[in-house]
Amino acid sequence: MAFFEQHIHDAPKTFLSKYVFSFDHKVIGKQFLWYGIAFLGLGGMMALMIRWTLAFPGEPFPIVGQFLFPQTNGVVPPDTYAMLFTLHGTIMIFYAITPILIGAFGNFCIPLLIGARDMVFPTLNMLSFWLAFVSAILLLASLFTPLGGAAGGWVSYPTLSTLIGSPGIGQTLWCLALFVLGVSSTMGAVNYIATIITLRAPGMGYFDMPLTIWGLWLTAILNALFLPVLGAGLLLLTFDRVFGTTFFLAGAAATSGSGDPLLFQHVFWIFGHPEVYILILPAWGVVSDLLSFFARKPAFGAKATALAMTTITILSTVVYGHHMYTTQMSPLLTQSFMMLTMTISIPSAVFFANWLGTLWKGSIRFHSPMLFALGVVFVFGLGGLTGLYLATVTTDLYLHDTYFVVGHFHYTMAASVLLGGFAATYFWFPKMFGRMMNEPLAKIHFWITMLGLNGVFMGMMVVGYAGMHRRIYNPFVYEFLQKLIPINMFITYSALLMGFGQLFFVYNFIYSLVKGPKASANPWEVGTLEWQIPSPAPHYNFDVIPVVKCGPHELGNPNLKNGRDFQYQTEELVEV
Amino acid sequence: MAIVTTKKLMSEKDQGQEIISSVAMIVTLVSFAMLFATLMMGFAMFRITSPVWPPAGMTKPSLILPSLSTLCIFLSSMSFIWFEKNIADKRGLIVTIVLGFGFMLIQSLLWHSLSSQGVFVSSGIFPSIIYTFTWIHAAHIVAAISLLFWLLFSVLKENTPKVRIQASNVGKFWHFLGIVWFIMFVTIFVL
Repeated sequence: MAFFEQHIHDAPKTFLSKYVFSFDHKVIGKQFLWYGIAFLGLGGMMALMIRWTLAFPGEPFPIVGQFLFPQTNGVVPPDTYAMLFTLHGTIMIFYAITPILIGAFGNFCIPLLIGARDMVFPTLNMLSFWLAFVSAILLLASLFTPLGGAAGGWVSYPTLSTLIGSPGIGQTLWCLALFVLGVSSTMGAVNYIATIITLRAPGMGYFDMPLTIWGLWLTAILNALFLPVLGAGLLLLTFDRVFGTTFFLAGAAATSGSGDPLLFQHVFWIFGHPEVYILILPAWGVVSDLLSFFARKPAFGAKATALAMTTITILSTVVYGHHMYTTQMSPLLTQSFMMLTMTISIPSAVFFANWLGTLWKGSIRFHSPMLFALGVVFVFGLGGLTGLYLATVTTDLYLHDTYFVVGHFHYTMAASVLLGGFAATYFWFPKMFGRMMNEPLAKIHFWITMLGLNGVFMGMMVVGYAGMHRRIYNPFVYEFLQKLIPINMFITYSALLMGFGQLFFVYNFIYSLVKGPKASANPWEVGTLEWQIPSPAPHYNFDVIPVVKCGPHELGNPNLKNGRDFQYQTEELVEV
Repeated sequence: MAIVTTKKLMSEKDQGQEIISSVAMIVTLVSFAMLFATLMMGFAMFRITSPVWPPAGMTKPSLILPSLSTLCIFLSSMSFIWFEKNIADKRGLIVTIVLGFGFMLIQSLLWHSLSSQGVFVSSGIFPSIIYTFTWIHAAHIVAAISLLFWLLFSVLKENTPKVRIQASNVGKFWHFLGIVWFIMFVTIFVL
């Protein structure tokens, strides 16, 4: 549906226009990738400090502890602990996963996979990255304010996040940072939606798009709809902190009139529940594609998968109340939310069955992207099933404030999305940088990560089920929790193992960037549009805009005559 | 022949631009609408759960200034529609800009009159709502007025399909802000 001639722009010549202020979606995608990986490392370090404190309370954090917390001899102090888990959540969700999956792969993949030369608004795209950069500076600056960064949890409920709970300027900077990031992501979302609607190559209907694009498109729609909701909440919170309004102050905290702290929870979760689907949908899309590509058969029920993802997108907007069962909601409401939440498992089961159907009797190639995709199938299955216990009001009342919740959302959001991000990185690295990543190192990375993360998150579910609270600096002051110290140590060792495993990735990434073997145009032998152009992709992507004649998953057709077991999307469909 | 082809390409390009920019503008406006909808949801929550409204012995601000600003923004939307009918005639756009400034002036008079009556932003939930919502709306109006100026420069330079697309998109934003103000006027000041 190319509505108009897309011009081939001249190649950028100066260093600034090529690598820094670039309009090219591929360069912006890489910038987001670096940005996301840097924050992933920072957020991961914070996670290790949290884990250390929980397993070895009162013991100094090894190596860097003495340097970071000199006044306590290297022990993480309680206020710093609160700051650490707040910023760990914030950084991982908004500054690591969002930039990597949506920023990097959204930017990189959308034009390439739909056969366009660039996004519809390249300038807006560049602005989106640099606003995200400003937001990162605001967030990091909050660490150096007198009372430290935000410490009200990543959800920042009032009154923890109002001036009574956190008087420092760090919380205000946190609000502003997230607001700016929201603006940046909304800009990206507008761009993605408009690009996918208008710039699909001639002949490419919506169901001829790879499922990756479906995932990214639905994500962009959710972003455009629900980030402004968070924006409104953050604005009001900032006004409460700076101008003395009383939206979220009540009782003795408010000097006059009366606000409602619960309002923020509503606003936050109206945004917050779609946000978890914002994070997971791109990973689902990538995995749905990769399973088909590496099982060498068409995606089972690709149309149903796309529609199931759409259904989930719609349902995700009406289930937010399940985060608030314990806020004395009316039972009528909790039960309605419970029922709506349970309904999500129907489309989830549809696409999950489709994943298994895709794998069934495939001649699977266990390359590293496939390993990570299979990892997603496993951890998402586990994470999704444990969600049922939290969606049910009766079990949630017991589990709500325990580590079970932490285990559950790390399985779905951290484990699945992280593995999906790695799968995408290993898969598109050749097209991004023109070199192959080292396969044995990637496999070591996968197995260590898989072992580590299951140890961590499974352990969290166990301690949560045993009743360990999730918001306490030192849970072991309670006698009944002291028996959980050994299993907490196990979780921490698993986390250290997982952290160690990422070193293989970092080494592999940097080494392959410089010295990896040159990639051919189509190293994975798949038929989507981006694999028909040279690796790395030239700045204009396609010298001739391709004409699409078949879907993205035409693999393993026995009637193919040209010695390949797949066909490109630009080839006339060979009947089975 | 060559000229005909270029002309055809040109119009196709404009057609593409029109679709792209209106899709993007509509998505953007939906985003903004969600922002204001969230604010209105918060307001509704306070309003419904409060036994008396306005709470804490407050009285409602006088309707004179808000009604004037509503009239102002309504007329500005009308004059913009008039301008869009024939963008060669720039008077409509200039009237819109003047009325936009008029709206901002009345809003600042409103804030001034409220504070001179001792109603400040920190005086409770009702003043918080009045001030904050009008601030957020006014911030959008300021952005929209700069867009109107940008449009004025384009209109003064040329009269092409591109400028007409630009006018229709800026117009969408301006009308949108008018509607948002009307909803705020009815729910906060009248009801």
